[in-house]
Amino acid sequence: MSLNQATRVAVLLSIGQHPVTARARRADQDARALELALQLNHADVIPLHVGQLNEHNEAALRSYLGMGISQIKLIGNSDILLGLEQGVRESQANIVLCGSRAETGEGSGLVPYLLAKKLGWPIVSGLVSIEKLDQGSATLLQALPRGQRRKLKVSLPAVLAVDPAAAVARQSAFGPAQRGAITPQKLSSIEAVSGAEVKHNSALHSFLWQFQPAKKRPKRLKIIKATSARDRFKAAAAKADASGGKVLQGVSADDAANEIIKLLLEESVLNLDGHL
Amino acid sequence: MSENMNNSTLRRDPRREWILRNRLHPQHSEIATEDSSSDVLHEWMGPQGIKRKAPHNIGFIGPNGIRRIDRSGTQQAGSASRKEIAQQPSRRSHQIQHPQQYILVVADMTGGRLSAQDKDILGLAHQLAAKKAETAVMLVVFGEHKEAAFAEAGVDRLLHIEGEAFDGFSPDLRLAWLTAIERELHPDYWLFPDSGLGGGDLGRRLAVELDVHAATGLWQVNLKEQPISCVCRAAASTQDLTRELPRVILALSECAEPISDSLHAVQEFNLVRQPLDQLPRIQDLGAVAVDPASVSLAEAEFILSGGNGIRDWDGFHQTAEILGATEGASRVAVDDGYMPRDRQVGATGTWVTARVYMAVGISGAIQHLQGIQSCDKVICINTDAGCDMVKRADLALIGDSTEILAAVRRKVSELKQEKRHVA
Amino acid sequence: MLNQILPLLIFGALLLAVVGGVRRIRLWRNGRPSDVPIMAGLAALPRRYLVDLHHVVARDKYISNTHVATGGGFVAAAILAILVHGLQLNSQILAWALLAATTSMFVGALFVAKRRVQPPERLSKGPWMRLPKSLLAFSIGFFLVTLPVTGLVPAVLGAWVLALILSVLIIWGLGEMFFGMTWGGPMKHAFAGALHLAFHRRAERFNGGRSTGLKPLHFDDQQQPLGVEKPSEFTWNQLLGFDACVQCGRCEAMCPAFAAGQPLNPKKLIQDMVVGLAGGSDAAYAGSPYPGKPLGEHQGGPFASIIAREGQGLLDAETLWSCTTCRACVEECPMMIEHVDAIVDMRRHLTLERGQTPNKGAEVIDNLIATDNPNGFNPASRMNWAADLALPVLSDVKRTDVLLWMGDGAFDMRNQRSLRALVKILRAAKVDFAVLGNEERDSGDVARRLGDEATFQSLAKRNITTLAQYSFRSIVTCDPHSFHVLKNEYSDFGGQYVVYHHSTFINHLRQTGKLNFAPYKGGSVTYHDPCYLGRYNGEYDAPRDLLAAAGIQVIEMERSGFRSRCCGGGGGAPITDIPGKQRIPDMRMEDIKQTGAEIVAVGCPQCTAMLEGVVDPRPEVLDIAEIIAKQLVEAEEAA
Repeated sequence: MSLNQATRVAVLLSIGQHPVTARARRADQDARALELALQLNHADVIPLHVGQLNEHNEAALRSYLGMGISQIKLIGNSDILLGLEQGVRESQANIVLCGSRAETGEGSGLVPYLLAKKLGWPIVSGLVSIEKLDQGSATLLQALPRGQRRKLKVSLPAVLAVDPAAAVARQSAFGPAQRGAITPQKLSSIEAVSGAEVKHNSALHSFLWQFQPAKKRPKRLKIIKATSARDRFKAAAAKADASGGKVLQGVSADDAANEIIKLLLEESVLNLDGHL
Repeated sequence: MSENMNNSTLRRDPRREWILRNRLHPQHSEIATEDSSSDVLHEWMGPQGIKRKAPHNIGFIGPNGIRRIDRSGTQQAGSASRKEIAQQPSRRSHQIQHPQQYILVVADMTGGRLSAQDKDILGLAHQLAAKKAETAVMLVVFGEHKEAAFAEAGVDRLLHIEGEAFDGFSPDLRLAWLTAIERELHPDYWLFPDSGLGGGDLGRRLAVELDVHAATGLWQVNLKEQPISCVCRAAASTQDLTRELPRVILALSECAEPISDSLHAVQEFNLVRQPLDQLPRIQDLGAVAVDPASVSLAEAEFILSGGNGIRDWDGFHQTAEILGATEGASRVAVDDGYMPRDRQVGATGTWVTARVYMAVGISGAIQHLQGIQSCDKVICINTDAGCDMVKRADLALIGDSTEILAAVRRKVSELKQEKRHVA
Repeated sequence: MLNQILPLLIFGALLLAVVGGVRRIRLWRNGRPSDVPIMAGLAALPRRYLVDLHHVVARDKYISNTHVATGGGFVAAAILAILVHGLQLNSQILAWALLAATTSMFVGALFVAKRRVQPPERLSKGPWMRLPKSLLAFSIGFFLVTLPVTGLVPAVLGAWVLALILSVLIIWGLGEMFFGMTWGGPMKHAFAGALHLAFHRRAERFNGGRSTGLKPLHFDDQQQPLGVEKPSEFTWNQLLGFDACVQCGRCEAMCPAFAAGQPLNPKKLIQDMVVGLAGGSDAAYAGSPYPGKPLGEHQGGPFASIIAREGQGLLDAETLWSCTTCRACVEECPMMIEHVDAIVDMRRHLTLERGQTPNKGAEVIDNLIATDNPNGFNPASRMNWAADLALPVLSDVKRTDVLLWMGDGAFDMRNQRSLRALVKILRAAKVDFAVLGNEERDSGDVARRLGDEATFQSLAKRNITTLAQYSFRSIVTCDPHSFHVLKNEYSDFGGQYVVYHHSTFINHLRQTGKLNFAPYKGGSVTYHDPCYLGRYNGEYDAPRDLLAAAGIQVIEMERSGFRSRCCGGGGGAPITDIPGKQRIPDMRMEDIKQTGAEIVAVGCPQCTAMLEGVVDPRPEVLDIAEIIAKQLVEAEEAA
């Protein structure tokens, strides 16, 4: 990479799905990835989408355009992974930004890893912000649970998968969304190979795989180590914990504090290792 | 207490018998309990870990020489089971001397201990191990740990990989180790907790490395089917995917019951061929100090929320700091300028999903209650016992919030100090 | 001597006025075209001025009488002066008439001057303080020069010194009245105001009519910008309308956002638009600024962005987002300027072109797009509140007499109580009604006020398509916002319906003897007029009649009826949430408390939510339907 070369950021955009109504929309994490890219100074942003443009997904794709980009490169009719690889290679990007997992289909979150493997680049997931871009490396912030953050330095080129805790994507405006272009890309080297591979992959598993609307997972019951019939009977017949809460009136402040701390420790939200 | 244990000669004591017959006798219950303790063992754990029973030994001989079985448990069973616990180890021992194959579990070890999810995954590993004889569950632990109860959690073999590099984020190095294990042991299954940055990240890296289409967000395994199938959350948890069980599994918490009744060997294991050191492409520059108060409400796990009833806002902020809680506020507190707008909880502010929501001086307008619908546990401190927040709360304390918060601060500081001295 | 100068002065001033007029017209013509009829508008002008405008002005008797004397006197004096002194027509009658006209103007000007001795806060100062003096100069000057013409005094009186003083008075008077009229002085209001009335963008407002629905954007028209970014993107007659402002500040006195200390002042907004259309800075503005925004920091021009993308523009965006679209300013404006239209036009640009709807705005719009309701509830749960009511749903029954439009209040636990009360009343009156159920969507009100015309039109068109599948006679709703949108704004997209607010409909049921009430035993009641029911749709009487019929004596607030103060819940204001010094609902609750009433009756879910958000102790907030439902007596019992 020459010294004067600007950072080129490929942003992978997919069609999302609203969690309540299942309507197509911009995928939340991908939009956050685009937001991160747009906030980088002196970076060329290359938005990529692999798939077909149709009535069902046009509005969703356009809502990325509404964030203020002039065009999305559309890589049509190929295996997603191969399409992405080619798209990224041809765009000469040195950073790939994407969401952690898709909102439709399997949504396994494997694609960024597979892409990184194919490109031979390192991957960092859980990205919340890009602090600094140097020649050949980037300083990142990674999300840890409970709002904690960790600083990482990664050598470029790299694939960066954005965490749901990253900054919320800007509003999508109607005007730019309508005017922006979705440009189909002609990629040179995919052709027949990809077709064969797609068939191969789908033959492998799709006949076994079934999708259903998500079932509500049963709440885990308290495990009762019932060694006798009597214990089992008692456990089965025991009145469920009263749904109404416990109300303590006229207790001393100390007792009240003890009750609170007891519950906090039970729920393990209180970390006693912390500073005083 | 049990001098006549296993003694078949029945010695009669007329006075005792009389007391046993006379329920109104002041010593009746005492004698009755004592009497039942003379019972011989009627239940024990067999060598295969199966519970064995001797029905003839159940119950006790009543005062008129007839065997009585009291299922109410007030008298005999209670003490009998107590005795059982004292007599035999509560967990059966689970030993695998010469494992033929392995199931590998890579635990998150948050805070250096097995997390609840890690234990569930170990439980799942044992369910899979039970399908084939002589299968050992091996746990991989990177870096320092403080866990003392591996045996109870179901660890047959422990591969403890030490090194300073594992204190931070070192996915490349960890992956190198996992691939080394793969080469040497070729385990039947690789199990990871599908959690944000621990197993969720490493598991995917390994799956891609091994070219396995991993099962992610797995929450159910159907062991009875052939081939074994599993159910995974798909499409951002809006769909369930039923598929065959692959070799690499990233499972959610509560995917299986944790081990509860066996004790495992925790035999140390060492790799013959260790991976070579390599130059990491990702470098950990350390944690960034984050003020818990500034964590976004939607991300927060524990929220301390203040409302109109708070008189001492300094105390409120201090409490949040000591508890490590994220601060929230009711609309009124925000309107009155005590808290910034982005801290407002409720239908008109932020909808929160905290595990514990502690509302101080908030009476609970409908919009506010709507906003905390999905919180697990609600603690409420209020002066008015009749307000709606008290009705919603799992624990409601009626009293002066300033005093109670001060007491909480004091107690937590004390606890932290104690902990520090112990450690 | 003076006889020779006077025609020169008059025609010179007139010429300058014409030049100024042409220049001003060219500024207006920077705006986009508008299809108002030119000739018909001019023909309607006298009536619009004398009847419609005066109807508004007459709310303040002092100033209306003053204006008749001054304005009427000036128009007559100006014409007569041109005839008598300009064309030198030597007519006694005209001269006497001119004397009378200048006298009238003089008297009027005295009253104007009196108002300016200690002017109320709302009035602009600066050049406006000069105006009464200019009026006096004009009237005295022309009175004196006319005296010789009538022969009352000998012409010789016109000695040099006197002539000089007179010329100064006349030049001053002509300068202000003729030259200033078209070159931006206070008298501009006469010139621009007259033309504004002739070419008003809402001709329906004249002759006692009402026009409150927003004008749609035509997305298939490529020429039309999406909202207004620069002053030149207003239509020319909107620009003309801004120029008509007399800076009387009645809008300022009524604006709830201004009173709450939010950075909005409708008068300043209009003046800023004038600055924008002519170019310059707001430093010369002599009225109350936007709270918290000092003068002189903002500037603009016809082709510059009103809200700058970087740095200072003509306005700050939060000024626009402070508006609750309550229309109090429009209702008060004696020049019938359309403030709300202008604000929404500029909001449209911010939302549709820049994606800068502040605070929760973006989230609300996303929810409306994805779930058809502003809070992102599952649209399939819209009917959950009525699970036990067995309401007939139109998709089953296909036809009904009355369609009950539930509104988004169906998702809100508080509003569900009002809806239940309404259902109880409808059932008591044996009304044949049905609901759309889960097929209903948000009416689009919030989206439209937030400037998202695209989402509004999408919702409107889909609602209209749904409604077209069924047969019903009228729509009844307890949400004035849905009411307004269904009644006044869907017609642009082919949806023509008979729509009633529930208070009107219940009152009608009462009038036809379908409802019987028990004697009222509750506490004292005051009534809060919702903006979208009152000012937007003129329904002030039905709720009051209804409460009176139920035996409730309504204690009126000082600001009620068309002057009712907004609750702060309209126009997406709670969503954009611009901070001020106090909250609008708190101020409104103060108004309510001043009546001493124990209950405030409302007719709008937004008002209920806003007023109930005020911290206790406060009067109880009850929807009209709740109050009436409690008073109902079953017909059999009553018989």
